[in-house]
Amino acid sequence: MIDVTNVSKSFDDLEALKDIALLVNKGSIYGLVGSNGAGKTTLLKIIAGIYKENEGVVEINSFPVFENTDIKARIVFIPDTPFYFNNYSIENLAVYYQRIYPKWNYNRYLLLKDVFNIDPKRRIKTLSRGMQRQVAFWMGFSIMPEVMILDEPMDGLDPVMRQKVKRLIVQDVAERDMTVIISSHNLRELEDICDHIGILHQGRLLIQQDLDDLKADVHKIQIAFAEGIPSALYGDMQVLHYEEKGSVLTMIIRGSYEDIVQSIDNYHPAIIDVLPLTLEEIFIYEMGENDYEIQNIFN
Amino acid sequence: MFELDFRSRTPIYEQLVEKFKELIIKKILKPDEQLPSVRVLASQLTVNPNTINKAYHKLEQEGYIYSVPGKGNFVSPDVSGIQSARLKSLKLEFFKIVSEMNYLGLNKEDIMALIKDLELVDKGGPED
Repeated sequence: MIDVTNVSKSFDDLEALKDIALLVNKGSIYGLVGSNGAGKTTLLKIIAGIYKENEGVVEINSFPVFENTDIKARIVFIPDTPFYFNNYSIENLAVYYQRIYPKWNYNRYLLLKDVFNIDPKRRIKTLSRGMQRQVAFWMGFSIMPEVMILDEPMDGLDPVMRQKVKRLIVQDVAERDMTVIISSHNLRELEDICDHIGILHQGRLLIQQDLDDLKADVHKIQIAFAEGIPSALYGDMQVLHYEEKGSVLTMIIRGSYEDIVQSIDNYHPAIIDVLPLTLEEIFIYEMGENDYEIQNIFN
Repeated sequence: MFELDFRSRTPIYEQLVEKFKELIIKKILKPDEQLPSVRVLASQLTVNPNTINKAYHKLEQEGYIYSVPGKGNFVSPDVSGIQSARLKSLKLEFFKIVSEMNYLGLNKEDIMALIKDLELVDKGGPED
Protein backbone atom coordinates (compact mmCIF):
# COMPACT_ATOMS: atom_id res chain seq x y z
CA MET A 1 0.00 0.00 0.00
CA ILE A 2 1.24 3.46 -0.87
CA ASP A 3 -0.12 6.33 1.20
CA VAL A 4 0.85 9.89 0.33
CA THR A 5 -0.63 12.65 2.52
CA ASN A 6 -0.41 16.37 1.76
CA VAL A 7 3.03 16.21 0.22
CA SER A 8 4.73 19.32 -1.12
CA LYS A 9 8.15 19.60 -2.66
CA SER A 10 10.15 22.59 -3.91
CA PHE A 11 13.49 22.88 -5.65
CA ASP A 12 14.86 26.34 -4.78
CA ASP A 13 12.06 28.64 -5.88
CA LEU A 14 10.36 26.07 -8.12
CA GLU A 15 7.32 24.56 -6.47
CA ALA A 16 7.23 21.08 -8.02
CA LEU A 17 4.43 19.49 -6.00
CA LYS A 18 1.66 21.13 -4.01
CA ASP A 19 -0.36 19.32 -1.40
CA ILE A 20 -0.55 15.91 -3.05
CA ALA A 21 -2.71 13.22 -1.45
CA LEU A 22 -2.78 9.82 -3.07
CA LEU A 23 -3.61 6.29 -2.00
CA VAL A 24 -2.74 3.10 -3.84
CA ASN A 25 -4.27 0.01 -2.26
CA LYS A 26 -2.42 -3.27 -2.00
CA GLY A 27 -2.81 -5.27 -5.19
CA SER A 28 -3.85 -2.24 -7.20
CA ILE A 29 -2.29 -0.78 -10.35
CA TYR A 30 -2.31 3.02 -10.31
CA GLY A 31 -1.64 5.01 -13.46
CA LEU A 32 -0.13 8.47 -13.13
CA VAL A 33 -0.56 10.74 -16.13
CA GLY A 34 0.13 14.40 -16.60
CA SER A 35 1.43 17.19 -18.76
CA ASN A 36 5.18 17.58 -19.30
CA GLY A 37 6.80 19.04 -16.22
CA ALA A 38 3.72 18.30 -14.10
CA GLY A 39 5.84 16.65 -11.40
CA LYS A 40 5.29 12.95 -12.15
CA THR A 41 8.94 11.96 -11.82
CA THR A 42 9.37 14.07 -8.69
CA LEU A 43 6.36 12.40 -7.10
CA LEU A 44 7.59 8.92 -8.00
CA LYS A 45 11.06 9.68 -6.65
CA ILE A 46 9.52 10.86 -3.38
CA ILE A 47 7.44 7.68 -3.14
CA ALA A 48 10.58 5.64 -3.82
CA GLY A 49 12.39 7.48 -1.03
CA ILE A 50 14.94 9.10 -3.30
CA TYR A 51 13.84 12.68 -2.64
CA LYS A 52 12.75 13.90 0.77
CA GLU A 53 9.42 15.70 0.79
CA ASN A 54 9.36 19.25 2.24
CA GLU A 55 5.96 18.75 3.80
CA GLY A 56 3.58 15.86 4.31
CA VAL A 57 3.99 12.14 4.85
CA VAL A 58 4.86 9.31 2.43
CA GLU A 59 4.30 5.79 3.68
CA ILE A 60 4.56 2.33 2.19
CA ASN A 61 2.87 -0.42 4.23
CA SER A 62 2.36 2.23 6.95
CA PHE A 63 6.06 3.08 7.35
CA PRO A 64 7.88 6.20 6.12
CA VAL A 65 10.02 5.39 3.11
CA PHE A 66 12.88 7.87 3.28
CA GLU A 67 16.11 6.23 4.53
CA ASN A 68 14.12 3.14 5.53
CA THR A 69 16.17 0.15 4.36
CA ASP A 70 13.56 -2.35 5.51
CA ILE A 71 10.92 -0.83 3.22
CA LYS A 72 13.33 -0.14 0.40
CA ALA A 73 14.29 -3.82 0.33
CA ARG A 74 10.73 -4.58 -0.79
CA ILE A 75 10.27 -1.95 -3.43
CA VAL A 76 11.55 -1.57 -6.93
CA PHE A 77 11.92 1.75 -8.65
CA ILE A 78 12.63 1.77 -12.36
CA PRO A 79 13.54 5.33 -13.35
CA ASP A 80 12.92 6.80 -16.79
CA THR A 81 16.62 6.30 -17.60
CA PRO A 82 18.00 3.26 -15.76
CA PHE A 83 21.47 3.69 -14.29
CA TYR A 84 24.12 0.98 -14.47
CA PHE A 85 27.72 0.68 -13.27
CA ASN A 86 30.44 0.76 -15.91
CA ASN A 87 31.74 -2.65 -16.98
CA TYR A 88 29.03 -4.58 -15.13
CA SER A 89 27.63 -7.61 -16.89
CA ILE A 90 24.10 -8.83 -16.16
CA GLU A 91 25.59 -11.64 -14.05
CA ASN A 92 27.62 -9.12 -12.02
CA LEU A 93 24.52 -7.06 -11.45
CA ALA A 94 22.57 -10.15 -10.32
CA VAL A 95 25.24 -10.86 -7.69
CA TYR A 96 25.08 -7.23 -6.57
CA TYR A 97 21.28 -7.37 -6.24
CA GLN A 98 21.50 -10.67 -4.38
CA ARG A 99 23.69 -9.06 -1.72
CA ILE A 100 21.39 -6.08 -1.29
CA TYR A 101 17.88 -7.51 -1.53
CA PRO A 102 17.09 -10.19 1.11
CA LYS A 103 14.16 -11.60 -0.91
CA TRP A 104 16.27 -12.11 -4.06
CA ASN A 105 14.94 -15.16 -5.87
CA TYR A 106 17.62 -16.91 -7.91
CA ASN A 107 15.18 -19.38 -9.49
CA ARG A 108 13.07 -16.55 -10.72
CA TYR A 109 16.15 -14.84 -12.13
CA LEU A 110 16.90 -17.99 -14.12
CA LEU A 111 13.30 -18.37 -15.29
CA LEU A 112 13.20 -14.77 -16.45
CA LYS A 113 16.27 -15.38 -18.55
CA ASP A 114 13.97 -17.20 -20.97
CA VAL A 115 11.59 -14.25 -21.07
CA PHE A 116 14.17 -11.58 -21.80
CA ASN A 117 16.53 -13.80 -23.73
CA ILE A 118 19.69 -11.73 -23.29
CA ASP A 119 23.08 -13.37 -22.68
CA PRO A 120 23.82 -12.67 -18.98
CA LYS A 121 27.52 -12.42 -19.76
CA ARG A 122 27.03 -9.26 -21.79
CA ARG A 123 28.13 -5.93 -20.40
CA ILE A 124 25.03 -3.84 -19.74
CA LYS A 125 26.47 -0.61 -21.13
CA THR A 126 26.91 -2.30 -24.52
CA LEU A 127 23.18 -3.18 -24.70
CA SER A 128 20.62 -1.13 -26.56
CA ARG A 129 18.33 1.25 -24.69
CA GLY A 130 15.38 -1.12 -24.84
CA MET A 131 17.51 -4.06 -23.69
CA GLN A 132 18.86 -2.02 -20.78
CA ARG A 133 15.29 -1.42 -19.73
CA GLN A 134 14.59 -5.14 -19.97
CA VAL A 135 17.50 -5.73 -17.60
CA ALA A 136 15.89 -3.29 -15.13
CA PHE A 137 12.67 -5.34 -15.21
CA TRP A 138 14.61 -8.60 -15.01
CA MET A 139 16.32 -7.49 -11.79
CA GLY A 140 13.15 -5.84 -10.52
CA PHE A 141 11.00 -8.95 -10.77
CA SER A 142 13.78 -11.12 -9.31
CA ILE A 143 13.72 -9.36 -5.93
CA MET A 144 10.07 -10.39 -5.37
CA PRO A 145 8.93 -6.81 -4.85
CA GLU A 146 5.85 -5.85 -2.85
CA VAL A 147 5.70 -2.47 -4.55
CA MET A 148 6.78 -1.47 -8.05
CA ILE A 149 7.30 2.17 -8.95
CA LEU A 150 7.68 2.61 -12.68
CA ASP A 151 8.53 5.85 -14.48
CA GLU A 152 7.71 5.63 -18.20
CA PRO A 153 8.56 1.92 -18.07
CA MET A 154 7.59 0.88 -21.59
CA ASP A 155 9.76 3.48 -23.30
CA GLY A 156 12.01 1.82 -25.85
CA LEU A 157 10.48 -1.64 -25.51
CA ASP A 158 9.23 -3.35 -28.64
CA PRO A 159 5.53 -4.38 -28.84
CA VAL A 160 6.19 -8.04 -28.02
CA MET A 161 8.31 -7.13 -25.01
CA ARG A 162 5.68 -4.63 -23.81
CA GLN A 163 3.11 -7.38 -23.80
CA LYS A 164 5.48 -9.74 -21.97
CA VAL A 165 6.30 -7.14 -19.32
CA LYS A 166 2.64 -6.25 -18.86
CA ARG A 167 1.83 -9.91 -18.39
CA LEU A 168 4.60 -10.28 -15.77
CA ILE A 169 3.20 -7.26 -13.90
CA VAL A 170 -0.38 -8.57 -14.01
CA GLN A 171 0.75 -12.02 -12.84
CA ASP A 172 2.59 -10.61 -9.85
CA VAL A 173 -0.42 -8.48 -8.97
CA ALA A 174 -2.75 -11.48 -9.26
CA GLU A 175 -0.58 -13.97 -7.44
CA ARG A 176 1.36 -11.95 -4.87
CA ASP A 177 -0.85 -8.88 -4.46
CA MET A 178 1.94 -6.63 -5.66
CA THR A 179 1.15 -2.91 -5.68
CA VAL A 180 2.11 -0.88 -8.74
CA ILE A 181 2.28 2.81 -9.54
CA ILE A 182 3.17 3.57 -13.13
CA SER A 183 3.58 6.82 -15.04
CA SER A 184 3.22 7.01 -18.79
CA HIS A 185 2.17 9.19 -21.68
CA ASN A 186 0.89 6.17 -23.49
CA LEU A 187 -2.67 6.40 -22.23
CA ARG A 188 -3.88 3.49 -24.34
CA GLU A 189 -1.47 1.24 -22.56
CA LEU A 190 -2.39 2.49 -19.08
CA GLU A 191 -6.04 1.98 -19.88
CA ASP A 192 -5.41 -1.75 -20.35
CA ILE A 193 -3.83 -2.52 -17.03
CA CYS A 194 -4.62 0.23 -14.50
CA ASP A 195 -7.59 0.26 -12.14
CA HIS A 196 -7.01 3.77 -10.81
CA ILE A 197 -5.87 6.90 -12.57
CA GLY A 198 -4.44 10.16 -11.25
CA ILE A 199 -4.03 13.22 -13.46
CA LEU A 200 -1.23 15.57 -12.43
CA HIS A 201 -0.94 19.12 -13.74
CA GLN A 202 1.41 21.86 -12.57
CA GLY A 203 2.21 20.04 -9.36
CA ARG A 204 -1.39 19.33 -8.36
CA LEU A 205 -3.55 16.25 -8.68
CA LEU A 206 -6.54 17.32 -10.75
CA ILE A 207 -8.39 14.04 -10.67
CA GLN A 208 -7.94 10.74 -8.98
CA GLN A 209 -10.49 8.04 -9.52
CA ASP A 210 -11.32 4.47 -10.31
CA LEU A 211 -10.77 4.21 -14.07
CA ASP A 212 -14.16 2.66 -14.84
CA ASP A 213 -15.96 5.23 -12.68
CA LEU A 214 -14.02 7.97 -14.42
CA LYS A 215 -15.15 6.64 -17.77
CA ALA A 216 -18.74 6.20 -16.61
CA ASP A 217 -18.71 9.82 -15.50
CA VAL A 218 -17.83 11.49 -18.80
CA HIS A 219 -19.53 10.87 -22.13
CA LYS A 220 -19.15 11.90 -25.70
CA ILE A 221 -22.45 12.70 -27.32
CA GLN A 222 -23.32 13.28 -30.92
CA ILE A 223 -26.75 14.71 -31.56
CA ALA A 224 -28.56 16.17 -34.51
CA PHE A 225 -31.73 18.21 -34.54
CA ALA A 226 -34.22 18.52 -37.36
CA GLU A 227 -34.85 22.21 -36.70
CA GLY A 228 -31.69 23.84 -35.42
CA ILE A 229 -30.06 23.43 -32.04
CA PRO A 230 -32.29 24.54 -29.17
CA SER A 231 -30.55 27.33 -27.28
CA ALA A 232 -31.64 26.10 -23.84
CA LEU A 233 -29.88 22.77 -24.40
CA TYR A 234 -26.59 23.53 -22.66
CA GLY A 235 -28.20 24.88 -19.49
CA ASP A 236 -29.12 21.52 -17.97
CA MET A 237 -25.76 19.81 -18.30
CA GLN A 238 -22.14 20.11 -17.34
CA VAL A 239 -20.57 20.54 -20.74
CA LEU A 240 -16.77 20.23 -20.92
CA HIS A 241 -16.52 20.79 -24.61
CA TYR A 242 -18.78 21.26 -27.59
CA GLU A 243 -18.41 21.55 -31.30
CA GLU A 244 -21.07 22.42 -33.86
CA LYS A 245 -20.81 21.20 -37.40
CA GLY A 246 -23.90 22.15 -39.36
CA SER A 247 -26.81 20.58 -37.54
CA VAL A 248 -24.65 17.97 -35.80
CA LEU A 249 -23.46 18.76 -32.32
CA THR A 250 -20.63 16.92 -30.57
CA MET A 251 -20.42 17.42 -26.84
CA ILE A 252 -18.36 16.11 -23.96
CA ILE A 253 -20.57 16.04 -20.91
CA ARG A 254 -19.91 15.09 -17.32
CA GLY A 255 -22.69 13.08 -15.73
CA SER A 256 -24.24 9.63 -15.75
CA TYR A 257 -25.47 8.08 -18.98
CA GLU A 258 -29.11 8.02 -17.85
CA ASP A 259 -29.19 11.67 -16.73
CA ILE A 260 -27.63 12.88 -19.95
CA VAL A 261 -29.96 10.94 -22.20
CA GLN A 262 -32.96 12.06 -20.19
CA SER A 263 -32.13 15.76 -20.33
CA ILE A 264 -31.36 15.61 -24.04
CA ASP A 265 -34.49 13.61 -24.81
CA ASN A 266 -36.57 16.57 -23.66
CA TYR A 267 -35.45 18.44 -26.77
CA HIS A 268 -36.39 15.61 -29.13
CA PRO A 269 -33.18 15.16 -31.09
CA ALA A 270 -33.41 13.42 -34.46
CA ILE A 271 -30.30 11.37 -33.75
CA ILE A 272 -28.53 10.74 -30.48
CA ASP A 273 -25.37 8.73 -30.00
CA VAL A 274 -23.64 8.33 -26.64
CA LEU A 275 -20.11 6.94 -26.56
CA PRO A 276 -17.86 6.19 -23.58
CA LEU A 277 -14.67 8.24 -23.70
CA THR A 278 -11.18 6.90 -24.06
CA LEU A 279 -8.69 7.85 -21.37
CA GLU A 280 -6.90 9.99 -23.93
CA GLU A 281 -10.03 12.03 -24.57
CA ILE A 282 -10.73 12.40 -20.86
CA PHE A 283 -7.17 13.63 -20.37
CA ILE A 284 -7.38 16.17 -23.17
CA TYR A 285 -10.73 17.61 -22.11
CA GLU A 286 -9.90 17.73 -18.42
CA MET A 287 -6.69 19.55 -19.30
CA GLY A 288 -8.69 21.89 -21.52
CA GLU A 289 -10.76 22.83 -18.51
CA ASN A 290 -7.51 23.77 -16.81
CA ASP A 291 -6.23 26.03 -19.57
CA TYR A 292 -4.00 23.47 -21.19
CA GLU A 293 -5.63 23.15 -24.53
CA ILE A 294 -4.86 22.08 -28.03
CA GLN A 295 -5.36 25.17 -30.11
CA ASN A 296 -5.20 25.66 -33.80
CA ILE A 297 -2.05 27.69 -34.26
CA PHE A 298 -1.73 27.77 -38.00
CA ASN A 299 -4.92 29.23 -39.29
CA MET B 1 -11.45 -18.75 -23.97
CA PHE B 2 -12.32 -15.47 -25.61
CA GLU B 3 -10.76 -12.29 -26.93
CA LEU B 4 -11.19 -8.79 -25.57
CA ASP B 5 -11.18 -5.74 -27.77
CA PHE B 6 -8.63 -3.42 -26.21
CA ARG B 7 -9.29 -0.81 -28.86
CA SER B 8 -12.96 -0.60 -28.04
CA ARG B 9 -14.39 2.30 -26.06
CA THR B 10 -16.38 -0.11 -23.92
CA PRO B 11 -14.66 -0.62 -20.57
CA ILE B 12 -12.92 -3.97 -20.22
CA TYR B 13 -14.99 -5.11 -17.25
CA GLU B 14 -18.20 -4.48 -19.21
CA GLN B 15 -16.82 -6.48 -22.11
CA LEU B 16 -16.02 -9.32 -19.71
CA VAL B 17 -19.53 -9.22 -18.22
CA GLU B 18 -21.12 -9.32 -21.68
CA LYS B 19 -18.94 -12.21 -22.89
CA PHE B 20 -19.70 -14.28 -19.81
CA LYS B 21 -23.43 -13.57 -20.07
CA GLU B 22 -23.35 -14.74 -23.66
CA LEU B 23 -21.48 -17.93 -22.74
CA ILE B 24 -23.92 -18.63 -19.91
CA ILE B 25 -27.11 -17.88 -21.85
CA LYS B 26 -25.94 -20.01 -24.78
CA LYS B 27 -25.11 -22.78 -22.29
CA ILE B 28 -21.50 -22.99 -23.40
CA LEU B 29 -20.80 -22.57 -19.72
CA LYS B 30 -23.06 -25.15 -18.09
CA PRO B 31 -24.98 -24.65 -14.82
CA ASP B 32 -22.70 -25.20 -11.80
CA GLU B 33 -19.62 -25.18 -14.00
CA GLN B 34 -16.65 -23.43 -12.41
CA LEU B 35 -15.41 -20.19 -13.93
CA PRO B 36 -11.67 -19.67 -14.39
CA SER B 37 -10.02 -18.17 -11.30
CA VAL B 38 -9.22 -14.49 -11.25
CA ARG B 39 -5.49 -15.23 -11.32
CA VAL B 40 -5.68 -17.53 -14.31
CA LEU B 41 -7.92 -15.24 -16.32
CA ALA B 42 -5.85 -12.16 -15.45
CA SER B 43 -2.65 -13.64 -16.77
CA GLN B 44 -4.32 -15.27 -19.75
CA LEU B 45 -5.90 -12.03 -20.93
CA THR B 46 -3.28 -9.63 -19.47
CA VAL B 47 -6.00 -7.82 -17.62
CA ASN B 48 -5.82 -6.24 -14.18
CA PRO B 49 -7.08 -8.81 -11.62
CA ASN B 50 -9.20 -6.09 -9.98
CA THR B 51 -11.04 -5.63 -13.28
CA ILE B 52 -11.86 -9.33 -13.38
CA ASN B 53 -13.00 -9.27 -9.75
CA LYS B 54 -15.27 -6.39 -10.62
CA ALA B 55 -16.78 -8.26 -13.58
CA TYR B 56 -17.38 -11.35 -11.40
CA HIS B 57 -19.04 -9.19 -8.74
CA LYS B 58 -21.35 -7.69 -11.33
CA LEU B 59 -22.25 -11.13 -12.70
CA GLU B 60 -22.94 -12.33 -9.18
CA GLN B 61 -25.11 -9.31 -8.42
CA GLU B 62 -27.13 -9.97 -11.54
CA GLY B 63 -27.52 -13.63 -10.65
CA TYR B 64 -25.56 -15.21 -13.48
CA ILE B 65 -22.99 -16.76 -11.19
CA TYR B 66 -22.62 -17.61 -7.52
CA SER B 67 -19.44 -17.75 -5.46
CA VAL B 68 -18.36 -20.34 -2.95
CA PRO B 69 -15.86 -18.87 -0.47
CA GLY B 70 -12.50 -20.55 -0.87
CA LYS B 71 -13.57 -22.45 -3.97
CA GLY B 72 -14.34 -19.93 -6.65
CA ASN B 73 -17.15 -18.81 -8.90
CA PHE B 74 -19.75 -21.04 -10.52
CA VAL B 75 -22.51 -20.64 -13.09
CA SER B 76 -25.96 -20.29 -11.51
CA PRO B 77 -28.09 -23.43 -11.87
CA ASP B 78 -31.21 -21.45 -12.73
CA VAL B 79 -31.05 -18.50 -15.06
CA SER B 80 -34.80 -18.14 -15.64
CA GLY B 81 -34.98 -15.27 -13.14
CA ILE B 82 -32.33 -13.49 -15.16
CA GLN B 83 -34.21 -14.04 -18.37
CA SER B 84 -37.13 -12.06 -16.99
CA ALA B 85 -34.77 -9.23 -16.03
CA ARG B 86 -33.29 -9.31 -19.50
CA LEU B 87 -36.77 -9.26 -21.01
CA LYS B 88 -37.57 -6.18 -18.95
CA SER B 89 -34.57 -4.31 -20.32
CA LEU B 90 -35.33 -5.49 -23.86
CA LYS B 91 -38.88 -4.19 -23.51
CA LEU B 92 -37.45 -0.82 -22.51
CA GLU B 93 -35.20 -0.79 -25.57
CA PHE B 94 -38.10 -1.87 -27.77
CA PHE B 95 -40.17 0.97 -26.40
CA LYS B 96 -37.38 3.43 -27.21
CA ILE B 97 -37.06 2.18 -30.78
CA VAL B 98 -40.80 2.23 -31.36
CA SER B 99 -41.12 5.77 -30.03
CA GLU B 100 -38.28 6.90 -32.25
CA MET B 101 -39.95 5.29 -35.28
CA ASN B 102 -43.16 7.01 -34.28
CA TYR B 103 -41.33 10.32 -33.99
CA LEU B 104 -39.78 9.83 -37.42
CA GLY B 105 -43.21 9.43 -38.98
CA LEU B 106 -44.35 5.79 -38.76
CA ASN B 107 -47.83 5.39 -37.34
CA LYS B 108 -49.23 2.53 -35.29
CA GLU B 109 -50.33 0.52 -38.33
CA ASP B 110 -46.90 0.80 -40.01
CA ILE B 111 -45.20 -0.50 -36.90
CA MET B 112 -47.71 -3.32 -36.44
CA ALA B 113 -47.17 -4.31 -40.07
CA LEU B 114 -43.42 -4.46 -39.44
CA ILE B 115 -43.95 -6.77 -36.49
CA LYS B 116 -46.29 -9.01 -38.52
CA ASP B 117 -43.62 -9.27 -41.20
CA LEU B 118 -41.29 -10.85 -38.69
CA GLU B 119 -43.40 -14.04 -38.69
CA LEU B 120 -42.97 -14.59 -34.98
CA VAL B 121 -43.11 -18.12 -33.62
CA ASP B 122 -46.16 -18.57 -31.44
CA LYS B 123 -44.59 -19.94 -28.30
CA GLY B 124 -41.63 -17.53 -28.37
CA GLY B 125 -38.03 -18.31 -29.26
CA PRO B 126 -37.08 -19.68 -32.67
CA GLU B 127 -37.10 -23.46 -32.96
CA ASP B 128 -33.76 -25.11 -33.51
